[in-house]
Amino acid sequence: MIRYIFMRVLTMIPTLVLISILVFLIIELPPGDFFESHIAELQALGEDADLAEIEMLRERYGFDQPQVIRYLNWAGGMLTGDFGYSFEYRLPVNEVVGDRLWLTIVLSVLTILFTWALAFPIGIYSATHQYSWGDYGLTFLGLIGIAVPNFMLALVMMYFANTWFGISIGNLMDRQYLNEPLSWEKVQSILSHIWIPVVIIGMAGTAGMVRRLRANLLDELDKQYVVTAKAKGLHPKKVLRKYPLRMALNFFVSDIGSILPAMISGAEVTAIVLSLETTGPMLIRALQSQDMYLAGSFLMFLAFLTVIGVLISDIALAFLDPRIRLGAGSSK
Amino acid sequence: MITPRITRRTTLGLLASTLLAGRAFADAPLFEADLAAGTLPPMADRIPLNPRVINLPGMGRETGVHGGTVRMLIGGQRDVRLIPMNGYSRLMGYDADRNLQPDILAACDVVENRIYTLHLREGHRWSDGSPFTADDFAYCWTDVLNNPDLYRSGPPVELTSDGVVATFEVLDPLTVRYTFATPSPDFLPKIAAPLPLVLFMPGAYLRQFHAKHQTEEKLAEFIETYSVDDWQGLHQKMSRSNRPENPDLPTLEAWRPRTAPPSEQFIFERNPYFHRVDQAGNQLPYLDRIVLDVASSEIISAKTATGESDLQTTGVDFPDYTLLKQAEKIHPLKVSLWRRTQGSSVALLPNLNCSDPVWRKLFQDVRMRRAMSVAINRAELNKVIYFGLARESADTVLPESPLFKPEYATAWAQYDPDLANALLDEIGLTERGGGNIRLLPDGRKAGIVVESSGESTLETDVLELIRDHMRDVGIAIYTRVSQRDVFRSRALGGEVQMSVWTGLDNGVPSAEMSPEHLAPTMPDHLQWPVWGAWYASGKTEGDAPDMPEVLELVTLLDAWRQSTSTAERALIWDKMLSLRADQVFTIGTINGALQPIVRSARLRNIPDEALFGFIPTSYLGAYLPDTFFYEKA
Repeated sequence: MIRYIFMRVLTMIPTLVLISILVFLIIELPPGDFFESHIAELQALGEDADLAEIEMLRERYGFDQPQVIRYLNWAGGMLTGDFGYSFEYRLPVNEVVGDRLWLTIVLSVLTILFTWALAFPIGIYSATHQYSWGDYGLTFLGLIGIAVPNFMLALVMMYFANTWFGISIGNLMDRQYLNEPLSWEKVQSILSHIWIPVVIIGMAGTAGMVRRLRANLLDELDKQYVVTAKAKGLHPKKVLRKYPLRMALNFFVSDIGSILPAMISGAEVTAIVLSLETTGPMLIRALQSQDMYLAGSFLMFLAFLTVIGVLISDIALAFLDPRIRLGAGSSK
Repeated sequence: MITPRITRRTTLGLLASTLLAGRAFADAPLFEADLAAGTLPPMADRIPLNPRVINLPGMGRETGVHGGTVRMLIGGQRDVRLIPMNGYSRLMGYDADRNLQPDILAACDVVENRIYTLHLREGHRWSDGSPFTADDFAYCWTDVLNNPDLYRSGPPVELTSDGVVATFEVLDPLTVRYTFATPSPDFLPKIAAPLPLVLFMPGAYLRQFHAKHQTEEKLAEFIETYSVDDWQGLHQKMSRSNRPENPDLPTLEAWRPRTAPPSEQFIFERNPYFHRVDQAGNQLPYLDRIVLDVASSEIISAKTATGESDLQTTGVDFPDYTLLKQAEKIHPLKVSLWRRTQGSSVALLPNLNCSDPVWRKLFQDVRMRRAMSVAINRAELNKVIYFGLARESADTVLPESPLFKPEYATAWAQYDPDLANALLDEIGLTERGGGNIRLLPDGRKAGIVVESSGESTLETDVLELIRDHMRDVGIAIYTRVSQRDVFRSRALGGEVQMSVWTGLDNGVPSAEMSPEHLAPTMPDHLQWPVWGAWYASGKTEGDAPDMPEVLELVTLLDAWRQSTSTAERALIWDKMLSLRADQVFTIGTINGALQPIVRSARLRNIPDEALFGFIPTSYLGAYLPDTFFYEKA
């Protein structure tokens, strides 16, 4: 088991190196650089850019150096915790990301919990009451949840909040707490705001999860061991809890790997619509303006989360499911 | 131009009658606590002895009351740059009628457009209370502009004439002089620009970040604290005034920053030492705070319509007008329409330096450019896109400019497809191919690829209509969307045949403003990027123009730069504008487009109709946002 974990951790290193090369190449692909797009954007507004200052920045950050050297500088810096410099914010990337990262993580964790709390009972109900009115009704709602994009839901909610109640939803806290240090009042303010994005972002995830849990559970429910257990007189609820549900849970665990990055990157458009102080809008903006170190560090962070998520789910699966245990080398 | 010097005695007398004659004038309530604690001197000691007095009734405005916070939405952190543009404290600045006025300066004496003597206001102070004197100019000149570590190639070109750097002298603590070798009429417009030529910096504050005035250990400490690479970076970061991100940097603007980035909200608070007062003796600005909330630029108009902004000029455009008008009914907002100052909202720029020899020859033929211009049905564009509210015009100055002549706007701007056809036939494009499209001499179809950034629906809509107009005269137009960032380099390489951009940046110039954008001076003039690069680089990059008409523009611009009288300058402008109108170097469509200005219904002193643009009015700057105020509810 320890050997398995060790090997899994070891394979992460070349994976991350490969990802970092890819990220760097992709960011460098579009023609021009941040300064070109900055000048162009100002021109579009009919403004002048301070060309002398831009020329100085360009030289300072080695835009005249070959790509390989720039890659090594960037990747080397990341190892020592220096994620480079954001041209747009004119600050080191570490400082720019700051609080947003924590807010993003809080929002994501809450959303995952919300998704699970809602999807679990509904999924079980749908599977055990297959083709009942309840199943149809919940399936119908679930399909709507999958079909309506999150940002659309956010827009609709914003519209009604504004026209019916004259209030504006959005943001993660009241404006006066924005630059305040963390305090109880600030936490309260965040809690009173955060449920809206949690519900909106969690909606599609919940619907998807209900469908998957239902399908997995249905597979198991028809198996012979369930029939046998029932035939021997075990209480149906106990049968369900003890056997098929546990089998159906594997996908919950293996989902962790994809949930982490999806939560952080998937909610971007919603975050823009709701003006959330999370990393999503920042990442999009950085990619648009070719703020390469900021964008690159973000993508690396997402990649890192995916790799870690997959690692966690692999290890958890190995613990949970005896059939997977010690499959190193052959199945993995 | 010689500005009469306001004598200190008259101003003092005037002030004495209003402020000091026993009347307890009201200081801003925001400062009550500081005044009571004695940490802030009373107002009379904070303002210069001869403050700039804004006569509000004389401008048709009301005298306001202190207080209030204005919320604005910005698309990103770097949009804090809008505050010094809207605040618009300059040594000299344009007023609402675009006349140059002394603002920070008490007066400015100009001799032969060459010797500029700047007189400061006595007792003028930075926002931290330290005195603002000639020393701040000296620091900027000696330790910054002429420091090879900070300005590698010497002072900026605006401070040179004919390649010779101006000389700088301090005459007394309140007077400095810049002397150019040859006339430099550009100097005052440059210091009045939205992004002004920087001539002064708070020396007392900045010396601590300068290698010449600070020990190495201390500098190393600062470099560590502010995470920069070296002292140049440190000095640049701490001294940046065009993006007010350093709350400690003393400023002369009406509002000083209170927030250090990164943040989602930027707060600006009134500068207790601001140098303007109203005629009743109240120190300006009226508004206590400006709060900028960061939102994604895509949703600024939507947020504005939900009443989340008290004053919004950027991020909203004419297509949002109906939404905003509807919001007026629900929220206490008021929407007015100002006119944009660009020479043309959407202009077609044929690349005279295009690398395809056939097309280059055609575009350089004036008949081709004229034919394309008269083929466009501008009335239709105006009706479809602006409900007929904008003006059909060639790419030239607006009627609001004193230099305007109707013939500039109408020259080759009529809709006359027959004339267009006749002109094209005359060039020799008589053969027609499939789809009734004309054929080039080498047998290719006469199809022009027009590059657009595709960012605004406005551009796409206009192109859609123009494509039909051009097809009627046998020219095919293909739209290609390419990113703005790569426009410049591709245009320089001759890869761009024609592009869509806005027309002249400044459509409301006076003779005193430089006509530099009428002649090739910049590589981002997409109609002649290679020639622009030639002059921008000091004749080291690009190529010299070979068209006599373009060379004439260059000669005229040089003449303007050497000119010494307003009459002479007006004459040169006239020649350049007529030449451009006749030659149709850029094909304008519509100008005077409308820009919605959204404000809280309680906010007063904002004109209902005005011009909106970057240069020369510096967005709201020329309309003095420091005089805006909230009427009592």
